[in-house]
Amino acid sequence: MWLPFIGLIVGIVLGWLTNWRIPEEYSSYLSIAVLAALDTLIGGIRAHLQHVYDESVFLTGFFFNIILAASLAFLGVHLGVDLYLAAVFAFGVRLFQNIAVIRRILLANWLKRRQKS
Amino acid sequence: MQKRIMFQFTLIAIIIGGMLAVQIRSTKDPVVRDTRDIWELRQDLKRELQLQQQLLSEIRRSDDQLAAYEQARSTDQEAALKKTLAELKEEAGQTAVQGPGLILTIEPFYPESYVGPVVRTVSPELLHRLINELNEYGAKEIAVANTRLTNTTAIRDVNGLTKVGNVKIASFPLEVKIIVDDVATLHHHLKVSPLFDDFVIENLQLTVSEPISTVVIPQSEEKWRVRYMETSSTEKGGE
Repeated sequence: MWLPFIGLIVGIVLGWLTNWRIPEEYSSYLSIAVLAALDTLIGGIRAHLQHVYDESVFLTGFFFNIILAASLAFLGVHLGVDLYLAAVFAFGVRLFQNIAVIRRILLANWLKRRQKS
Repeated sequence: MQKRIMFQFTLIAIIIGGMLAVQIRSTKDPVVRDTRDIWELRQDLKRELQLQQQLLSEIRRSDDQLAAYEQARSTDQEAALKKTLAELKEEAGQTAVQGPGLILTIEPFYPESYVGPVVRTVSPELLHRLINELNEYGAKEIAVANTRLTNTTAIRDVNGLTKVGNVKIASFPLEVKIIVDDVATLHHHLKVSPLFDDFVIENLQLTVSEPISTVVIPQSEEKWRVRYMETSSTEKGGE
């Protein structure tokens, strides 16, 4: 269960140590990609807890969401409309919903275990 | 199965962590591109070297002074103090000075068929510009309308008239006296300076005198008020 969190920390450390920088004008793309990836990960964890996890859906969703979000941001830049806000909004709402579902499942599990003991 | 899912989650988490770190790093201190070309770099280098030289000479002067104090302490303390006081007074513009320099004259200038307001004063911005340019070319002492400029002299607009220190600039011609070590260079600099055009825009004409061997600049009339300093009580004993 804790493996993903450890992975996150390992990723942050690795990213920090590589000393990569991206130009400022591309930072909005990366931030939206991070959001999309985070959304997919949380969604995957929720699906896993609800026993409806599908490997192919998860992996395709990860890459597809990132590419979609980045291209939406790209389109927005060229149209002069802050289209990336749409992606931020969609991912943000889903993130909250998924985290709420995960919280409820974990809470229910915890209560069940307490009743048993 | 469970292991495989965890492995996938971990992989994705590592990717997210990496992206997050890169993003934080880029937004925290973005790469600032150095777009200076070779001439700008040379100029910057020159400026830094000048600064270094100036600092070094200041250090040397302080060292000399320190050595003089050390020497004077054994011989004559009072004379050393008086000498320092005189030096400081001179530095603060409390004494009249003379030396080689130039005299600039500012007069109203109206082209033919000029219709418009009469020039009554020189704007503070223009005076600032002039003084900055003079300082840039190495002017040691400057006096505007016989008012010595020190580090604290204010040039400002008071009810439409420019005041230099406490003196109103309301009459023409206005004389700006300059003492400078290298008169010829300053003279040449001023001859080709774009300042003349700036003055003409404000209907003023700037004339530069030929180098003069002795220009007298009066002492500053600003009174120095010491408000926050106190004499320290004499220490008993000591060295």
